[in-house]
Formats: sequence, C-alpha cells, structure tokens
Amino acid sequence: MSQELHARAERLIAQERVEGISTADQLWLRQHLADCASCAARASATEQAIRSLRGWSVAMPPALASRTQFRVRMRAEQLRGEPRWRMVWAACGISWAFGAATAPYVWRGLEWAGHRMGLPNIIWELGFGLWWALPAALVAVILLMENAGRSSEADWKRQEN
Amino acid sequence: MADDKKSLALGLRRRDPELLDRLIEQYQYRLFRYLLYITGNRERAEDFFQETWIRVLERGHQYDGKSKFEAWLFSIARHLVIDWQRQKKAQSLDALTNPDEGAPLEFADDDPSPLHLVLSRESEETVQASLGKLPAIYREVLLLRFQEELGLAEIATVLSAPISTVKSRLYRGLEDLRMLLAGEAA
Repeated sequence: MSQELHARAERLIAQERVEGISTADQLWLRQHLADCASCAARASATEQAIRSLRGWSVAMPPALASRTQFRVRMRAEQLRGEPRWRMVWAACGISWAFGAATAPYVWRGLEWAGHRMGLPNIIWELGFGLWWALPAALVAVILLMENAGRSSEADWKRQEN
Repeated sequence: MADDKKSLALGLRRRDPELLDRLIEQYQYRLFRYLLYITGNRERAEDFFQETWIRVLERGHQYDGKSKFEAWLFSIARHLVIDWQRQKKAQSLDALTNPDEGAPLEFADDDPSPLHLVLSRESEETVQASLGKLPAIYREVLLLRFQEELGLAEIATVLSAPISTVKSRLYRGLEDLRMLLAGEAA
C-alpha cells in the first residue's frame, strides 16, 4: 500500500472528527481501515483520545456558585444606584448653570428687596450667598445619606461573610 | 430555541437577578472547566469565574440573542484572562501559551496540585497529565469542540480568530493529545 494512501487516511481520520468528511470519503476510509492495521490503530487511538477528553471531569469548588451569585447581586445593587447619581449630578450642573446665568438679576432683586425692607446690607448679601450654596448643600446631604447607607451595607456584608 | 435566546437577551438587558442566578447555576460547571483549561490554575479559575459573571451583568446588553449564550460567555471569560495576561506584559493568550513563543501555562498550581485534588480515577490522571503537557491554546479548542461540542464557527467567535486558525489548532491539539496518551513525545 502506498504512503500516499496512508497519508490520506491519517488526514481523514482527524478531519472526520474535527469538521466531518463526505460520505464518499467515509466509505473509502472504512475500507482502508479494514485493510490497514496501522491506520486502524491510529483511528482507534484518536477516538480513545477524544473519549478520554470527554470523560475527564472537574470538581467544582465548594459554594463557588452561591458566592458568585451574592457578588453579582451586590454589583447589581450598585449599578441600580448609578443612574440615580447621574440624575443628581445633572441636576447640580443645571442648577449651577442656571444660577450663574441669573446671578446678576438675583443680586439686584435681593438688593432692591433689602432696601425696601430697610435691612442691613449684610442680611441680603447673606441671602444671596445662601441662594448660591443651596444646591451644594443639597448634594452634601444626599452624599451623607448615601455614605450612611453604604456603611450599613458593609456591616451587613461582613455579617453575611 | 430562538425565542429562548431572545428572552435571555432581554433578561440580561434588564439585569434580571433571578435570571442571572439561574444562569450561574446552569453554566457553573462548564464555565469553571473552561477557565481551568485555559488558566491551568484552580484559584485563578475561581477568580475569573466570579469576574466573568460580574461582566455578564454589566455587559448583558451586548448579548444579541442570536449566537449561543455559552459561546458569548466563554468569549467574555477568555477576554478577561487575556486582559489579565496583558497586564502581566504578555501580548495575548497565544504568546504565553504557544510553545514557540513563550513558556506554556502551568496547568497545576502549588503543591498539592489542584488538578490532583479534582481527579480521582487513574485513567483521569493520565488524561490530566497529558492535558497538562498541552499548551493552553490547544486545550482550549479541544474542550470547546469535544466537550462543549461547539461548531467551528462558534469556536472562532469565542477565540475571535479565523476558522482556519481554529481548525489548525484542533488538528495539532488532537494529534498531540493522541500521541501523549499513547505515550509518545508530542
């Protein structure tokens, strides 16, 4: 039997398992394997290698799935909070831009109201400062509340572990 | 089947926690085995397992509901491993594992070998030893083809590589494994 025939058989043995071969090639290969002991042994060894691979098993680490589920849920909670934060920052930005644009008018308005009511300048000037600081104060309150929430969540995580 | 994939894609987009719990249960073994194959290290595989599911949560909207979920899942896991290896100054999984370009990954970690812990039967030890000698790029495609039974195109998607590359790795990997199991030098 020529080397070319053995080489073709070797190629088809692997090809059949990796990507499949045509019916004609299958028939030719069966015939060749029936006549050639060395190629038949090779085909058998290849089949055995695949069987061994399929039979090889892995032990799962204990509780890996439940630990992962817990982490994923925690992360999901964080992600749910993110759009809310984007809203807060967007509101701050808009508030700041609006405040900057209207500051001269607010200043004049407060000045006029202060003089009408006979208030000392420092009072309506403080009012102007408060008007500017209000958005920042609101954000600070939200941040403090969020941090308080996070620390209690961390306590809860520690207890879980 | 297509409806299942679509509802899966919708659930992932919504970050449905019940769905994610179910998926983690359902795919835990296959994902862990895949990670163990490509990292060759049990602890690292555990870390990547968790990171992969976090990534699935974060990037669930990227699953199109057309391809097999497991192919997408393995692709995410693979990218995480490659990113980690890049941080370790390697170019890619191939650069680290191709015997011509660099040292192969160690299949086992410290003593005692994690794989010894997970294998019990003698025949499995032989397979383990042979797999340990194979570079990860070949182990990976052998797993995806013969254990996961993914098609060549699906494997190509996981690897982000041409089908010709997948085929050549499969032929080489299968041949090396056959020789190793037969006690010949690969």
